[in-house]
Amino acid sequence: MNAEPALYSIRVGGHLGETVLSAFPTLVAECQDPGAQTVLTGLLDLSALYGVLAQMERLGLDLIEVTRPGAAER
Amino acid sequence: MPAGQGHPHLIARQRLLAALEQAASCAVTIITAPAGSGKSSLLRSWSDRQEQSHRPAIVQVQHEPDGQLFWLAVLDAVRGLAQDRDHTEELPAVAAPDFSSEAIVDRILDELAACPDRVSLLIDDVHELTSPEAQTQLTRMLTQLPDNAHVILAARRDLPLRLHRLRLDGRLAELRAADLRFTEDETRALLKASGIVLSDGATARLHERTEGWAAGLRLAVLSLHGHPDPERFVTEFGGSDRTVAEYLVAEMLDRQPRDVQDMLLRTSILTRVSGDLADVLTGRPGSERILLGLEDANAFVVSLDAERTWFRYHHLFADLLQLELRRVHPDEVRGLHRRAAAWFTEAGMVVEAVRHTQAAGDWAAAAKLFGNHSFGLMLDGQQETMQSLLDAFPSPSTADLPELSAVRAMLDLWRGRLDEAAAHLAVTTTCITDSPPERPARADATVSALSLELARRRGDVAEVMRHAALLTAPPTGSGFGSFSTSAEDIALGADLRVVALMNLGMVEAWSLGLPDGAKHLAEAVELARFIGRPYLEVAALSQLGFATKLHSFSDARRISEQALALAAQHGWDTAPILAPALVAQACTQVFNGEFDRCEATLTQADEALRTDAGPDIGVLHRFSWGLLHLARGRMSEAEAEFAAGYEMQAGMSHPHVLGGFVVGWLAATRARLGAVAEAQALLAAVDYALAGSAEVSNARAVIALVSGDPAAALAATSAVVDGTIRTTHVSTVVEAHVLAGLAHDEVGAQDRAWESVERALAASEPERLILPFVMADAGALLESVPRQRSAYGPWLTEVLDVIHGAVPATAATAGLGPGPVPELSATELRVLRYLPTNLSRPEIASELSVSVNTVSTHVRRIYAKLQATDRSSAVQRARELHLLGTGPTR
Repeated sequence: MNAEPALYSIRVGGHLGETVLSAFPTLVAECQDPGAQTVLTGLLDLSALYGVLAQMERLGLDLIEVTRPGAAER
Repeated sequence: MPAGQGHPHLIARQRLLAALEQAASCAVTIITAPAGSGKSSLLRSWSDRQEQSHRPAIVQVQHEPDGQLFWLAVLDAVRGLAQDRDHTEELPAVAAPDFSSEAIVDRILDELAACPDRVSLLIDDVHELTSPEAQTQLTRMLTQLPDNAHVILAARRDLPLRLHRLRLDGRLAELRAADLRFTEDETRALLKASGIVLSDGATARLHERTEGWAAGLRLAVLSLHGHPDPERFVTEFGGSDRTVAEYLVAEMLDRQPRDVQDMLLRTSILTRVSGDLADVLTGRPGSERILLGLEDANAFVVSLDAERTWFRYHHLFADLLQLELRRVHPDEVRGLHRRAAAWFTEAGMVVEAVRHTQAAGDWAAAAKLFGNHSFGLMLDGQQETMQSLLDAFPSPSTADLPELSAVRAMLDLWRGRLDEAAAHLAVTTTCITDSPPERPARADATVSALSLELARRRGDVAEVMRHAALLTAPPTGSGFGSFSTSAEDIALGADLRVVALMNLGMVEAWSLGLPDGAKHLAEAVELARFIGRPYLEVAALSQLGFATKLHSFSDARRISEQALALAAQHGWDTAPILAPALVAQACTQVFNGEFDRCEATLTQADEALRTDAGPDIGVLHRFSWGLLHLARGRMSEAEAEFAAGYEMQAGMSHPHVLGGFVVGWLAATRARLGAVAEAQALLAAVDYALAGSAEVSNARAVIALVSGDPAAALAATSAVVDGTIRTTHVSTVVEAHVLAGLAHDEVGAQDRAWESVERALAASEPERLILPFVMADAGALLESVPRQRSAYGPWLTEVLDVIHGAVPATAATAGLGPGPVPELSATELRVLRYLPTNLSRPEIASELSVSVNTVSTHVRRIYAKLQATDRSSAVQRARELHLLGTGPTR
């Protein structure tokens, strides 16, 4: 299991407002207009990643995909 | 709306209610769906529909590390299902250390099975139950449910419960997110029930935008309620790209009056809220009215108790509110936590108080608060919670907080890590000494209580006495008087006093053999009962049973039974605190010749002793195993156990009261195994005090007998037999008589041998000590005694029965067993004692100097009272009732 932090992108449904975004201070959010989705990106280790996913579950966010950009290049 | 009249704003979702109703015929129903899917609402409306007499029990899982509170809540809820049943005999479930969820689940299953009708149990938020042990036990409960019980679980995620068996058997029903989603018709019904008028188009748009998500629809309803232009609201909502929850929470909050908004934001830091606490956080009265109003409007606020004192917010709602609070009033968060902490401290809710003090970042204050209350938390069995509070302190900055060292020492003691506990206590002591003189005296007292416990567990008698002197002074004396000012200090004082009395009593009774030991332990039992600490009561009773063993086996047995019964009522069957009672029980059982029962008890004790309970109990535990092996002729196993006990004792600072027994029996067993030289070497090495002891004298006699020197054996036992040497326990005297009997027999002095047997029987009968005869392998000698010559004929028969492998009657069944013990007159008892012998009725008549007719009359009455049909069944029943052999027959 990879213990080093890696870059993750998490795509959720809808545009996140300031209130919800404040729950993810370590991630950078990018709203994508077609389809109204938000992609949150940041350097996370596995614990942090699962913490973020749990927070999303609590907030009732609609999880669409989790990717590791660049992982395929290795 | 007063409580208990149903929830008017919950619409009856007939489709789902029918599904649940159908599922209720299965053993288990699981509802799994994400936050806000309407699981809890569905459970509530299903519950409200049941007839009053068939209302299900409801348990809401709270987040906790070990599941203890959860299981206690389930037990309480299940008991509530059968309110008409008589529960006066039972004790309320109490949190305690050494909690066993397995035992509680057994009781829950028993309670469910005892319900006369079909019963339902609803468990909500099961995903909060994270402890693997709790999940294992929940699986067990679900798979072993009695036929009349039905359980509905609601959770956000699929749980690691192994229920495939139930699924294969068709006894598991499942509802998932897709089932819970509102249909368009249900959306329409919800709006209608809430008095909201929308066009068909707007209704469809709302349904589409929320995707039938229950929380979204409910939030929308709250905003639409009294909205000047509902159609416009739906249009704007439909046109927004924001997530449903965030958009609607913001909308709903906007539409609330200022004071409601303010209360919601400021109380969002709490996991549960009461009107009073909310008033403290908002600085204004009236919060209770707002909370009640919000619950009645079904606005994501739910009361947690029937009195509607405590409320919680829907998780999703609470999380969004908290984020909003941090965004809008970032500088107020810390102060709010401080106010909450003060309120919880005042209310005596320590764990929440510590959590909020930590959240405020006041680490030193949090450590102090935690330290001051840690003893009570430990006695409430909150060790896992204590560990999680401890883990929440940031590591570098809190390493030097002395209060936390005391907490760490407590947890180490609980886990049996004595060296770590000592190290943490040393740190605490140094810090206390360095701190200013106005330091709270209770820190001292707590450290003393912990040091006392540690010293006792290590068998360090001098240290125990030193700390006990401070702690056992009466509360009005100088020891506690200095800080017995508040009710809290008095309560802490009483807790510490019970623990101190208990540790002191244990050391006095065991290491020093002082009669004060039992007195102090009895005081501890009484005080624990008085202050309502059943856990301490069991612990002290258990120790008292253990300490009474030397004085009287029957008393020890009675007290140990009491401890075991009280522990069983609380689900502490194999708790470490019960170890002393179990070991005492095993010891009396092996001496009474009840070898199978003894083995069962020792096995239970093995589990209870999984954490180190201290050397005195450890020694007796090894010792009892050794005796059992000896009784069963397993010499090498016995030798190994005695050797282990001997080692353990060698590590103690003070000679153990059983020291003579351990070394004596170890030597005797080695001699019987043929290692005579080793046995002699062992005895040669004992110190002066032990060298002259009765137990060591008996061991010398055994060695002499094994070496074919009966004269030396007689010489060794003579001082024990004639009472010149004081003995710790009468069993040593019995053993000496038996050994003397064997020695006389060896040299052909049969009359003298029989006389020794007679004296052994006389000494052994009151406490029913069968073991010394079995250990010395005296079967042949006993057989040779003519029954008519013995005044203890029936007792002799019983002893021989055990030697030949029979299971003796228990002292316990005599007094406590089912069915009343028949009342026999003194004459009947006299006749009864001759029934196990070979004497005929005329011979009995002549023995008792009465007519044969009189004997026959008595025999008939005995048969009637014992419900026996013949002589042998009468003897059998009399043995079971322990009516034989309670005194000489003439």
